[in-house]
Amino acid sequence: MSAYDEVEIEDMEWNAELKAYTYPCPCGDLFQITLDDLRLGEEIARCPSCSLFLTVVYNAEDFADAKEPPHKPSPSPVAVA
Amino acid sequence: MERVDISRLKMSVNLEPGTFKRGQTKIKHANPMGHGIPPPLPSPIGPQQALAVADSLTRTVARPLALLMEKLAVAAAAAPREGRGAEDDEEAAEWAWSWGAGTDGQLGNGGFDDHYLPQPLLLPTRCRGRVSLVTGGGAHAIALTNDGEVFTWGRGTHGQLGHGNLENIPQPKLVKFLENHTITYVSAGWNHSGFSTDSGQLFMCGDGSFGQLGTGDNHSRNLPFEVAYFNGRHIDKLASGMRHSLILLKDNSVYGFGSARRGQVGKCVSRNQKSYNVPRLIDGFPNCKIVNIYANGDHSAALDESGHLYIWGRALIGEQDDDQPREALPSLRVSQVALGWHHALVLSGELYNLGVYRHQKCDLHALGNAAGKPSNTSATSNSHDRPSSLSTLEKVPFIDGERVVQIASGTEHSALVTGKGSVFTWGWGEHGQLGLGDTSDHASPQRVDIRDNAPGSLGVYCGSGFTVAVKLA
Repeated sequence: MSAYDEVEIEDMEWNAELKAYTYPCPCGDLFQITLDDLRLGEEIARCPSCSLFLTVVYNAEDFADAKEPPHKPSPSPVAVA
Repeated sequence: MERVDISRLKMSVNLEPGTFKRGQTKIKHANPMGHGIPPPLPSPIGPQQALAVADSLTRTVARPLALLMEKLAVAAAAAPREGRGAEDDEEAAEWAWSWGAGTDGQLGNGGFDDHYLPQPLLLPTRCRGRVSLVTGGGAHAIALTNDGEVFTWGRGTHGQLGHGNLENIPQPKLVKFLENHTITYVSAGWNHSGFSTDSGQLFMCGDGSFGQLGTGDNHSRNLPFEVAYFNGRHIDKLASGMRHSLILLKDNSVYGFGSARRGQVGKCVSRNQKSYNVPRLIDGFPNCKIVNIYANGDHSAALDESGHLYIWGRALIGEQDDDQPREALPSLRVSQVALGWHHALVLSGELYNLGVYRHQKCDLHALGNAAGKPSNTSATSNSHDRPSSLSTLEKVPFIDGERVVQIASGTEHSALVTGKGSVFTWGWGEHGQLGLGDTSDHASPQRVDIRDNAPGSLGVYCGSGFTVAVKLA
């Protein structure tokens, strides 16, 4: 098994509900990696719906003591008419 | 796990108001053991058949399920058949189908499950023969009729369905907001949607966090919002990728907005500029008339009237992204293009594939050898590790001998329609998006068994992990 793709953390979106960084999975769901994963040095973001996974590229030091996502979180969906 | 196909029951039995409206959900919950699957039910069923099934269920599966079946039988006996009965509904559904990933309602079949075989897509019967285009996004879809009506269904979490809320909707629903407009073209991105009108206006809705709505801000919108930038200029075509959008104007100019990370909306003013929320002109085309534009993933493409193909954005071949349109395959006169996330289909008499399917289970070369197994370990690694060796132009191994008349691509699967009206699919199949009854991957096109006996041509369309086929107008 090899990773579906390699994505930089800054191209992932912070999802407050999932408490995870996410990136679109080709199946329609989202690859996910939690802040805890990142603190532990995990490099794999998995999709809960399929067998595919991503390699996440990030600087481990950025997340060593991170309590909040250090990157600017993406704006959550605003229902604007 | 197999499930009782209650959707057929639901259509076949005239229930009294208030009785088991959400039969499918109830059944699933009433069968927690998940075993002892009863045989597929004949449809439409009569009260006696339902009772017979109920009897067998009592012996084989959880009792609550059997009780429900009995209630259905009672309801069937009690409710008189209307003039336009269940059989008509079933028959009427046999002109639009969908299959593949369905957990956000993107199959439009009323449910939230994956399906490995074509299911009736619940477009209203009055749309029969009037659908001119369907476009699939990450987990939503848009259907356009030839008189300008628009239906959307599937994931609505970012407002991409345009109904004024953030709900997932498992069946096609008319976009009321656009009722007073005649829509001429539609496009679905990962979580955003675009609509153009006969008077040349552009409306967008859904996720705007990368500026992909072109509204000058990064807000998401749950109702179609007119993109003021193009006021007075006539929109011809639109295309939507994962996080970007492309616009072709009648005056032959191409604009892009949204994520700019891979060059997909043209040259960046500075390296720090990651996205644009205001449309920007994409130049660099030679003096030619552009007739169509395409987007998927982080890729962008355009086709001119002479059949020259221009590609920009994330690299399909090699690792070098390109922020301006480059002519690809100059020796080919291209008639149609379909982009995936790592591959492009190019129709030029013959059908060609550019790039590779990236999901690890479907390596075209690995599957293509005689044993049907990877011949060595390197064959199973993805193109990322091997930038140039396999990422090239290849003829799609389509040996059927039939002429290809239409092509479509999801993220990692592809579909085509032949001159005889047959639908073929290939690529990644994990969610049943190939519609072949299982989750296998296929390196070459496989015929999909669509029960289509009526005359007329079919159109096939792909979303990320799902596929739609519709009898065309």
